[in-house]
Amino acid sequence: MSGPEAAGNGPLIHRRYVFGFLLRLGINFAGGVGILFVILFLALSRPLPGDYAGTFHALRNLSPFLRPILAVSVLVYALLACGSTTALCVYVLHKVAGPLYRMEMVLDQYRSGAHTRTVSFRNGDQIQELAEAVNMWIGTLRRDRQRWLATMMNAERHCLQDEATCRAEMEVALRKVAEDMARYH
Amino acid sequence: MKNPHLKPPRSRIRYVSARFQGPAVLAFAAIIATGGAIFWKLVDSEFQRVFLHAAIRGHYAFDSAYDIVRDLLASHLAGLFVGVFLAGSLLVLLLVAYTRRGIGKAVASLRASADGDLSTPTGTGPVGEFDRFGKKIDTARSDTLASVLKIRSEAAALAAGGISPEEFRLRWDELKHRIRRVAP
Repeated sequence: MSGPEAAGNGPLIHRRYVFGFLLRLGINFAGGVGILFVILFLALSRPLPGDYAGTFHALRNLSPFLRPILAVSVLVYALLACGSTTALCVYVLHKVAGPLYRMEMVLDQYRSGAHTRTVSFRNGDQIQELAEAVNMWIGTLRRDRQRWLATMMNAERHCLQDEATCRAEMEVALRKVAEDMARYH
Repeated sequence: MKNPHLKPPRSRIRYVSARFQGPAVLAFAAIIATGGAIFWKLVDSEFQRVFLHAAIRGHYAFDSAYDIVRDLLASHLAGLFVGVFLAGSLLVLLLVAYTRRGIGKAVASLRASADGDLSTPTGTGPVGEFDRFGKKIDTARSDTLASVLKIRSEAAALAAGGISPEEFRLRWDELKHRIRRVAP
């Protein structure tokens, strides 16, 4: 349940989270069935008359009302169970939907050219691996960028000497940078 | 890298993602509604039969109609709970598998990006929230790749020589500026 683990690190979705979801779902459905039982119990628990004729008529007269009683009770059950399950889904799945939304914002921010901060999720959020993967990617890019700039700045130091040396060192630096960038495809 | 049409989004907390939580809620609602409908059909026909039989039989020692159908109702309610819970559990497991598959591919794609592979599609799946998310990752990766390739070709062109010192210096500074905009 906890796998597949992305690149052998922590699980994307924790087993505890899944069991917690199932437990809450079970309690939720049990509550719905309990409410259905209470409605039907209240509808059917009217005392029957003691004599044969009274009981016969009471049971015969119950039949036409049975269908609407059942329909209303099942409808109440369905509405209550759907309502509580919706609330449960929104609450529990937010631990996945929230980080996903956050990551979308980070990617939009990255594409806009704004400074992207290190991503971290709230305690209890799932898919933590995603944040680590994004941080790793952006971190690698930043390290590469620093290395390329350092190579170029190092070449610029030679400009304190003569123009020809400066130009030659700059061209060497540019070739280095171009070679280094070749790993991106 | 910088796209002037894309402004950084405002930071806010959103509790509902209609694309992710919406289908899950609808699927659970369908399970509950189906369970309720089956329960209603079964219980209705059985109660009608049992009450008719009890009325005709005449001799019974029941205080209420509930006493007549107590066991039947209990078994059907238990069946409703078990059926809905099992179907709901199956849905949860499918949801978890779907999430693990989609996010797993996104994570793998981002890790490949850190190793330099910015062109292989994320392939999170053809439908749903993860497809959209995968496309966002792919767009960010392809933007980065385009930017890096542009810098690389410019660096190679400058390194090839044959450019006047003034133009070289101008393009060198422009190149540095472009590099600074990689992963700001």
